Amino acid sequence: MPMALIELHNLQKTYRVYHKKEGLRASIKGLFKRTYKEVQAVKGIDLQVEQGEFVAFLGPNGAGKTTTLKLLSGVIHPTSGTATVMGHTPWHRENDYRRRFALVMGQKNQLWWDLPAQESFRLHQQIYGIEPEAFQQTHDELTDLLGLRDLLSQPVRELSLGERMKMELTAALLHNPEVLFLDEPTIGLDVVAQHNIQQFLKYYQEKRKITILLTSHYMKDVAALCKRVVIIANGQIQYDGSLSGIIDETTNRKLVTLQFADPISDSLLSSLQRFGTLVHLEEPRVTLGVTRDDVPAMLTSILDAHDIDDLIVEEPPLEEVIAEVFARVAETSSTQRDEDGVA
Amino acid sequence: MAGYRPSYLTVFLTFARNSLVRDMSFRTNFILQCISTISWTVMNIGFYLIVFQYTDSIGKETGWGRNEFFVFLATTWIINSLVQTFFMPNAQQFSELIRSGNLDFALLKPIDTQFVISFPRVDWAALSNLFMGITLLCYSMYQLTTRESDPLVLDWRVLLMYPFYIVCGTIIMYSVMITLASTSVWLGRNQTLYNFWFYITNFSRYPMEIYKVGWGMALWVFFTFIIPVLLVVNIPARIMARPLSTMNSQMWQLAGFAILATLACLVLSRRVFVRALKSYRSASS
Amino acid sequence: MATTATHQPCVRSRMKTWWTILKISLEERFVYRGDFALGTLMRFLPIITQVFLWYAIFAASGKSKIEAYTANGVVAYYMLTMISRAFSSMPGLCNGIALQVRDGEIKKYLIQPIDLLGFLLITRVAHKLCYYAIALIPFAFVFFLCRGFFENGWPDPPILLAYSLSLILGFLLGFFIEACLGLVSFWFLEVTSLVFVYNLLNFFLSGHMFPLDLLPEWAAQFVYLLPFQFLAYFPAAVFLGTIEAGDVWRGLAVETCWLVFFILLARIMLNRGIQRYSGFGG
Ligand SMILES: Nc1ncnc2c1ncn2[C@@H]1O[C@H](COP(=O)(O)OP(=O)(O)O)[C@@H](O)[C@H]1O
Ligand SMILES: [Mg+2]
Repeated sequence: MPMALIELHNLQKTYRVYHKKEGLRASIKGLFKRTYKEVQAVKGIDLQVEQGEFVAFLGPNGAGKTTTLKLLSGVIHPTSGTATVMGHTPWHRENDYRRRFALVMGQKNQLWWDLPAQESFRLHQQIYGIEPEAFQQTHDELTDLLGLRDLLSQPVRELSLGERMKMELTAALLHNPEVLFLDEPTIGLDVVAQHNIQQFLKYYQEKRKITILLTSHYMKDVAALCKRVVIIANGQIQYDGSLSGIIDETTNRKLVTLQFADPISDSLLSSLQRFGTLVHLEEPRVTLGVTRDDVPAMLTSILDAHDIDDLIVEEPPLEEVIAEVFARVAETSSTQRDEDGVA
Repeated sequence: MAGYRPSYLTVFLTFARNSLVRDMSFRTNFILQCISTISWTVMNIGFYLIVFQYTDSIGKETGWGRNEFFVFLATTWIINSLVQTFFMPNAQQFSELIRSGNLDFALLKPIDTQFVISFPRVDWAALSNLFMGITLLCYSMYQLTTRESDPLVLDWRVLLMYPFYIVCGTIIMYSVMITLASTSVWLGRNQTLYNFWFYITNFSRYPMEIYKVGWGMALWVFFTFIIPVLLVVNIPARIMARPLSTMNSQMWQLAGFAILATLACLVLSRRVFVRALKSYRSASS
Repeated sequence: MATTATHQPCVRSRMKTWWTILKISLEERFVYRGDFALGTLMRFLPIITQVFLWYAIFAASGKSKIEAYTANGVVAYYMLTMISRAFSSMPGLCNGIALQVRDGEIKKYLIQPIDLLGFLLITRVAHKLCYYAIALIPFAFVFFLCRGFFENGWPDPPILLAYSLSLILGFLLGFFIEACLGLVSFWFLEVTSLVFVYNLLNFFLSGHMFPLDLLPEWAAQFVYLLPFQFLAYFPAAVFLGTIEAGDVWRGLAVETCWLVFFILLARIMLNRGIQRYSGFGG
C-alpha cells in the first residue's frame, strides 16, 4: 500500500501541567507540594493527507489543532503514536526533513524584531543553503505577490500586523517547502489583509501544488481555500471530509422563512411549531428549522391554509453548522466524562 | 540540494553582522554600555589597589603578588568578556525562548539546534572588556618581566598554552551557562539565571589557593572536579603569571585535567541540552 | 473637605488595585518556586568567596586588624551591607517612573488628587514589607549560621536604635534619590542607562564593594561627603561599632539633611516637570 504524504496513526500528546490554585495561601502550599494535572491535548488522531491537498483543521479553542501541527513539525514529541511526513518522522528532526517543510504561526514570529526583514531573509538563505539565484527568484516573486517590496528595509517592529504576517509567510516559503503548516495565519488581521493572504495562499498552492495544512477560526478562510475539512474537538477527529459534506452530515435541517400577508397570531405560531423549531420571528416573517424530509409536507399544508407573500428555503449558514458540531461534541464529551467518573 | 550542509561559519558571520547592525541602531545605548563596562573594570582595579595597600599578596606564600594578581584579573576579564560577548545574551535569550514558546522556530531550522541557539546574538559592547583585559595583561606582564629582582622570562610555550587555556576556560563557562539555561525547560521561568550564573562563576574569580584552608577544601574539590569553574581562570593565569619552572606536579596534573574537563563539560552540556529539547513543551502564546 | 470625600473611594479603589497587583506578583513568585528558593539562598553565596578572599588577605598581611576590621569583622560587614541594601535598593522604581512619563500615564496624577511621590512611596513600603516577610527566614538562617563572625555580639540598645533609624532613613533616602533620577525623564526620555551608571557608582561609593574605611584618606574624605555611604556602609558600620557613638548621631543628622534635600529636590522636579509636561499639552 503506497503511503500518503502525511500519515498519522493514533497520535497522542498529553501535557502535564502544574495545577495552580487560587490565592496566596494555596500558592505558598504549592511551594512544597505541587499538584499536577494531565491535559490530553491530542487523544489519538488518525489522518492521511495526499500530496497537493489543502486541508483545513477546524475546532473550538483548545481542541488540539496547534498541538497537532507542532507534532507534525517536530517541535514537540508525542506521548504515543506515529507520524510520517514525506517519509520522515517529524520529531527526529532530520535536516533533510526540516529543509522540506515550513511552519507559520499567527501568534509567534521568527523574524528579528529590530532588523529589517531583509536581513532575516538573508540569514534564511544561509541556514537553508539556498542558491543565490534561486533565492533571488523566489524572494522577488514572493515579495511582489505580497506587495512587500517597499517594506523590506524597515525594521520589523515598525511593520503593521498584516505586513509582519506577510513577511513571516515570505520567510517561511523562501526555501520552497513542499509541505506548509499554517496555524491561524490570519488571526487578528483586518478584512483586507485577510483577503490578501487568502488570495496569495490560493494562488501559491495551485501554482506549486504544495501540501498545506491550515488551522483557522475564520470560516471565510476555510471556505475560500480548502476542499477538505477536518474537524477536531477534544483532541479527536470528529469529521473528515468535504465542506459541503459537513452540512449534510451534521444537520438534516433546512431553514424555511415564510412571509405572511396577515399578522401572525399566537395560534398560527403554535401550529407552525408542529413542523419545526422556531428560529427567528420578526413580523411578518417567521424562520423555522425543519427536518429536510418534512419540508415538502410542511409547505403544502401551509400554502394551502395561509396567504404567503414570500418563501425561502435554505441551508443553515456554515458558521452555525460548525457551531452546532462543536456544541454536540462538547455535549458528548461531557457525558463521556460523567461515565468515566462513574466507572 | 540533497545532503547540503549549511556553512556554519557563514551563518555565524551573518549573526555577528546582524547583531552589529542592531547594536548600531541603538547607538547611545551601545556607548553607555561600553562606558559602564569600562568603569566596572576601573572600580575593580581600584578595589584591588586598596587591598594591596594592606598586603603584598593574596594568600600567604601563594605567589599572587600585585602584578601576578593583575594578570589573574586580566585573564578573568578576557574570559568573561568572551562569554559575555558571544554567549551571555544567547543564554538569556534561550531561557526567554523557552518561556515564550518561540523556541519553535529554532527547532525548525535545518541546522544544529544548539548552534542556532548559542550564537545568534553577539553583544559587541561587551568586547570593551576584552580590550581592558588585554591592556591590563600587557601592563602587568611588562611590570613582571622588567622588574628589578627576579624578572619573569616569557617562555614560548606559555604563549601557546595561554590562548589555548583561555579557549578551554571559555568553553567550560559556556557549558555551565547553556546547562543552566536549559533548566528553564523544567523550572518554568528562570529569572534568576543571571544571578545563579554570577554566583557560581564568582568562585572562579579568585586564585584557587585561597580555598585551600579548612573546609574550603570541600569547595575547592567541588569547583575543581564537579563544576570545574575554578580551572577556568586559574590555569591560564597561573601559566602566564609565574615561571613554568615553579609549576609543581599537582599544577601540571590540573592543567591536564582541565583539557579533560573541557571536553566532559561540552559533552555533558550537549546532553542536557538535548534532554531539555525533548521536554520542551512549546508554550502557546 | 468635600473634595476629599468624593475622591476618597477613588483613592481607596486605587489602593485596592495596587494591593491586588502586589498579591498577584507575589503569587507569581511562588509559582516559580524553583527560581524563588534558589534565588534567595544564592544571594548569600558571594559571602563565602568574600570570607576566603579576606582570610587570604589577612593571612598574607600578617596583621590581625586592617583599619577597624578583623577578618571576621569584614565578613560581618559584608553580611550587614546585605541588610542595608535590602532596605535602600529600589529595583524598578526609576524605570517605572520613566515609563509612566513616557506613556503619559503620569497625567492621571494631574487630574486626580493623588500625590505621585506619596503613592509610589506607599506601594514601595508595601512591596518591601512583603519581601521582608519572605526573606526573613533565609536571612535569619544564614545570620544564625554565621553568628561567629560577629565578634562583638549585639550592640547596645541605643546603638541598636540608631541602627534601626539608619536603616529606615536609608530606605527613604534610597527611595528619594531614585525618584529624582526617575523624574529626570521629564527632560531626558532615556534614563535606563543613567540608572545603570548610578547603580555602578552606588556599588562602589556606598561601601557595598568594600568597607569605606579602607579608602585612602583623600578619597575617603570625598566619599564621606556624598549621600551614597548611607545606603550601605553607614548602617553596617553603626551596627559593628566602628563609628563612635557621638559620630553615629551626627551621621544620622547628616543623613536626615540629605533626605530633606532629596525630598525637596524630588518635589521641585515633579512640579517643574509637570508644568513642563502640561505646557506641552502632554
Ligand atoms: N505547552 C503547553 N503546556 C500545557 N498545556 C498545553 C500546552 N499547549 C497546549 N496545551 C493544552 O492543550 C490543549 C490543546 O491546545 P491547542 O493545541 O493549542 O488547541 P487549539 O490550537 O486547537 O486551540 C489545550 O487544552 C491547552 O491548554
Ligand atoms: Mg491554536
